[in-house]
Amino acid sequence: MVELVPTLLRQELERLAADNQRIDGRGQWDSRNVSLEVDCLYNAEGSAKVVWGDTIIYAGVKFEIRTPWPDRPTQGSLMCGAELRPVAHRKYEPGPPSPQSIELGRVVDRGIRESGCIDMEKLCIVPGEKVWGVMIDIHVLSDGGNIFDAAGLAAIAALRTAVVPAERFDVGEDHRLLVNGSPIMASFTRAGGRFVYDPSEEEELGGDERIHITLGDEGHLHSLQKGLRGVFTPSEFAEILAVAEQKCTELREMVAEKEGN
Amino acid sequence: MGGYGDVKLLRDDGKRLDGRTVDEMRPVSIEAGVLPAADGSAMVTHGLNVAVAAVYGPMEAHPRKIQRQDRAVIDVRYNMAPFSTGDRIRPGFNRRSREISKVTAEALESVVLVERYPRSKIRVEIEILAAEAGTRCVGITAAAVALADAGIPMRDMIVGVASGKIEDTVVLDLDKAEDNYGQADLPVGILPNTGEIAFLQMDGDLSIEEFNLAMEYNFKAASEIHVLMVDALKRRYERGDN
Repeated sequence: MVELVPTLLRQELERLAADNQRIDGRGQWDSRNVSLEVDCLYNAEGSAKVVWGDTIIYAGVKFEIRTPWPDRPTQGSLMCGAELRPVAHRKYEPGPPSPQSIELGRVVDRGIRESGCIDMEKLCIVPGEKVWGVMIDIHVLSDGGNIFDAAGLAAIAALRTAVVPAERFDVGEDHRLLVNGSPIMASFTRAGGRFVYDPSEEEELGGDERIHITLGDEGHLHSLQKGLRGVFTPSEFAEILAVAEQKCTELREMVAEKEGN
Repeated sequence: MGGYGDVKLLRDDGKRLDGRTVDEMRPVSIEAGVLPAADGSAMVTHGLNVAVAAVYGPMEAHPRKIQRQDRAVIDVRYNMAPFSTGDRIRPGFNRRSREISKVTAEALESVVLVERYPRSKIRVEIEILAAEAGTRCVGITAAAVALADAGIPMRDMIVGVASGKIEDTVVLDLDKAEDNYGQADLPVGILPNTGEIAFLQMDGDLSIEEFNLAMEYNFKAASEIHVLMVDALKRRYERGDN
């Protein structure tokens, strides 16, 4: 479905930005309310539900036993996919995975993979024969804007609370999946000419390019993505990176708190 | 139905493995208006099943070949999330989900006043997040609440319920083990006020007497679930956020 971008919405975002305001009354770097629930689905070995403003996303972790790649006989594998199903918004239509859903899955995948939080060697059961394949599926149920951050949060929370179902596959005892670190994503959209953190649906609709930053526990960058039409300056990036550091730390604490329960 | 005989599904005291009596359903909870992006939505948990339904529309019917000059069409997609079952399901439509989507759409078209919206389409999206037997029924119940939440006129609600047979005994609302090792499954969609049936499937082996008893259980369950559906919709409007 082609989305109409009303000129009036763009003008309104510009007017608000000039006064340092946002359309829903937030400050430039304010987040909407975020709530996180873990271990909430029967059958998923790890699961999480994120409600982020009007956005609702579930992530589920499943395991399979597979044959390792010949050149990496002692390494398991990780795969993260996302589905923007028609349930999530009237703009999404049924059909094969759209470029948007592939981008979402791959950006979340890179952040987790490149942070090194999953040690692929630890997923080996029998070298050259059996390794664990870890699959994270992101299921977007309601798109109210900023699905990237919500998807990233749900994915890492589901992963960090996942239990490897070794007994079901007859390869030992069930155990918690080892996850060293919590890569967290922070996303920014240019709305009314300036970047804002955690764009709402309207800000995405009437805005321009977006930037997604995934930071690891040490504050290192693990994945970056610039999406949609538009350009930005290095100084703009430096500004949002500083905001991202703070936001990611807060969200990482939220994940740690849920795990403790 | 799966294998017979070897697996014990009834205890010596006549109760089922999870402690239910033969005519007892699993616990059900329903919430309406759970998805902000949708025109109407509902979440139903039924035992360990979790189903979410969203309704969009009435909207323009496209592609145009699906348009009906005299009524709306209901476009249903029943989908199981990849992590909803024991082994991961590869995303995308399969034969099972296509069939369930088709018969669910026809059931919903039997209760929605589709003639009010000629040439339009009502989209109903059913997502199964966790599956523990009986997901098509849970999906129908969720879809009915979501349609009502969207303000779409219906001649009655529709409630999805199922009974079946285990160890030659008719029981209400099969759980996963009972579904896997039982002898019959009879899912129906019941209109609770008129007592009519808009959805019917069955597989396995039932005598006429067993069928009649299974239907009796189904009607009993439908009226219990109907109370919860109405209650969910009332709470939704008391909350008043939309």
